[in-house]
Amino acid sequence: MVSLATEVAIPRTRAVHRRAFRYKGYLLVLPAVIYVLALIGFPLGMGIWYSLTDATVARDGRFIGLKNFVDILRDPTFTLALRNTTIIAVVATAAKITLSVALAFLLLGAFPGRSLLRTLFVLPWTIPVALSTIAWKWMFHSQFSVINWMLLKVGLIDHAIQWLGTPVPAMIAVILVSTWRAVPFGAIVVMAGLTALPADVIDAARVDGASWLQRFRAVIVPLIAPILFIALLFDLIFTLSELTVVFLLTSGGPVDQTQVLANYALQVGVSGSQLGEGAAIALFLLPVLIVLTIFALRAIARRESA
Amino acid sequence: MIARRIEVATAPRVGFRLRPITRRQRGTMLRALALAIYTLVTVFPFYWMIITIFKQNADLYSETNNPLWFNLAPTFVNVQYLLEQTRFLTWMANSLIIGVCVVAITLVLAVPAGYALARLRLPGAEQLGIAIFATYLVPPTLLFIPLTRVVHVLGLQNTIWSLVLILPTISIPFAVWLLMGFFKNVPFEIEEAALIDGATRRQAVIHVVLPISRAGLAAAGMFAFAISLQAFLYPLVFTSSTAVKPVTLGVVTDLVRGDLFYWGSLMAGALFAGLPVAILFNYFLDDFVEGITAGSTK
Repeated sequence: MVSLATEVAIPRTRAVHRRAFRYKGYLLVLPAVIYVLALIGFPLGMGIWYSLTDATVARDGRFIGLKNFVDILRDPTFTLALRNTTIIAVVATAAKITLSVALAFLLLGAFPGRSLLRTLFVLPWTIPVALSTIAWKWMFHSQFSVINWMLLKVGLIDHAIQWLGTPVPAMIAVILVSTWRAVPFGAIVVMAGLTALPADVIDAARVDGASWLQRFRAVIVPLIAPILFIALLFDLIFTLSELTVVFLLTSGGPVDQTQVLANYALQVGVSGSQLGEGAAIALFLLPVLIVLTIFALRAIARRESA
Repeated sequence: MIARRIEVATAPRVGFRLRPITRRQRGTMLRALALAIYTLVTVFPFYWMIITIFKQNADLYSETNNPLWFNLAPTFVNVQYLLEQTRFLTWMANSLIIGVCVVAITLVLAVPAGYALARLRLPGAEQLGIAIFATYLVPPTLLFIPLTRVVHVLGLQNTIWSLVLILPTISIPFAVWLLMGFFKNVPFEIEEAALIDGATRRQAVIHVVLPISRAGLAAAGMFAFAISLQAFLYPLVFTSSTAVKPVTLGVVTDLVRGDLFYWGSLMAGALFAGLPVAILFNYFLDDFVEGITAGSTK
C-alpha cells in the first residue's frame, strides 16, 4: 500500500481518501453491531457459561462442567419435553408444508375477491400468537368447547373430548394451533415463488402435454423448493424454541404430557430460580439450531449470488 | 357419460373443446370447496371471539344453548368490564410507548448500518450483513435467562424500559437486512449526481437516498412496531406488575383469576389489541417475505 502510494501520486490521495471513507463507513455499522453483540452475543455467551455452573438467582455459581446436562438427561420431565418438542416440530412441519403448498395453489391466479381472501388467510399469522392462542384455549374449553359441540352435532364423536386435559388430544391441540398459525406464512412464501416463476414456463409445459403432476414435479417443485426450504428452516428454528402456544394452552400439562423444552426452561430457570439448570435446558438444542441456521444462511447466500 | 362419448365419436372437434371446459369447471368447483373449508378454519376463531365478546354470561356458560349464535340479547357488559375494571387502556398505552421507542431505536441504528453495508462498497459488507441477519435466528428462548440478569443489573426489572431496551434485539437484525435490500435498489447515479452538484454525502443521503427508500423505511418501522406487539416471552419474564404490562401480556394474564377466566372480556381484549397489529402486519407482509426469501438483492 505504502510503496504503491509513494510511486504514483494520484492513486495515493484516492487511496487515503477511500481508507478514511471506509473507516467512516464501518462507524455507521458500529452502533448496530454493538447493540447486537451486547444484547444477543453477550447473553448467549453468558447462557452457555450459566449452563456449566450451579448458578441460582441468589448466587453467582461455580463451574461444575457438564453436570447440569448429565442431571437433566436423567430428569424424566426433561426427556418428555425433548420428546414432545421433537414430535411437535416434525408433525407440525410436515402439516405446514403440505397445507402451505395446497393453499398457495388454491390462491394462485386471479379470481374475484382474491385480495380480500388473502387478507383473511394471513390473519392467523399476523395476529399476535398469544392472543390467538387464548381464543383457541376457549374453543378447547373443558366444559363449553365449541369444537366438541360441532363435532358432536356432525356425529364425528359421541362424547365430549377433554382436549387440554388428556395427553394425546392436548398434543393434537398444540400441533393444530401451531400449524393453523404458520400455514399462511408458508403459503405466501410459496405464492411469492410461484408468481416470480414465468407463466410461459408453465404454459410451455402444458402445451408440451405435461400432466398436472408432471408440471408440478418437473417445473414447479424445483423452482419453489429453494424458497420454501428457507421459509421452513426459519419456521423450524422458531418451532423448536417456541413456548407461547404451550405456555398459554396447556402450561405443559396434563402432568407434563405437552411439556416442551422452552417452557420447561422457563419453569426451572425463572420460576424455580435455577439459572444454571434452566440455561442447560434452554441451550440443549443449540447445536441443532446452529446447524439449521447455517443451512438457512447458505441457502440465502446462494439465492443472493444467483 | 354415454351421450358425451357418442358426441366425441360423431363430432370429435366439438368433444375436444367440450372436455377441457367441463374438467376445468370441476376443478373450479373443487377449488371453491377447498377454499371455503379453509376460510372456515381460518376465520372461525375470529368469529368465535366476536360472538363471545357480545354474549351474556348466562348464554356463554350453558351446555344446552347453541353456542354459534345469540340465545339471549347481545350485551356490552364484557367490553365494559374490560375498559372499566381492568387496566386495558394502560396496557394499550404501554404497548404504544414501547412500540414507538422500539421503532425509533431500530431505525436510528439500522438505517446507517443498512446504508453503509449496501452502498459504501465496504470490504466484507455482505458477510457482515449476513452475520447481523443471522442473529435474527437466535430465538429469545436461548437468551431470556441471562437477560433477566442483565435487566436486573441495569435496574430495569418490572419497567416498560426493559422491553424498550431488549425488543430491538429482535427488530434490528431484520431491519438492517431489509434496508440493505432497499438501499441497494437506489441507482448510484442519482446519489452521485447530488454529490457532483455540491451536496455533502450526508445531504445526498437525507435529501435523495432516504426519500427514494421511504417504502423500505416504512416496512422496517412497521416490522419493529409489530414485533414489539407480538412479543410474549420477554414481557412475561421482565414485567410482572399490572401497571407496566404491555397489552399482549396484560390481556392473557390479568383477565384470569386463579381458575376463573373472564372469557368475554378476554376475547374483547385479544381482538381489540390483536386486530390493529394484524392489519399493520398485512401492509408489509410482502416486504417481510421478500426480506426472508429473496435476501438483500431485490
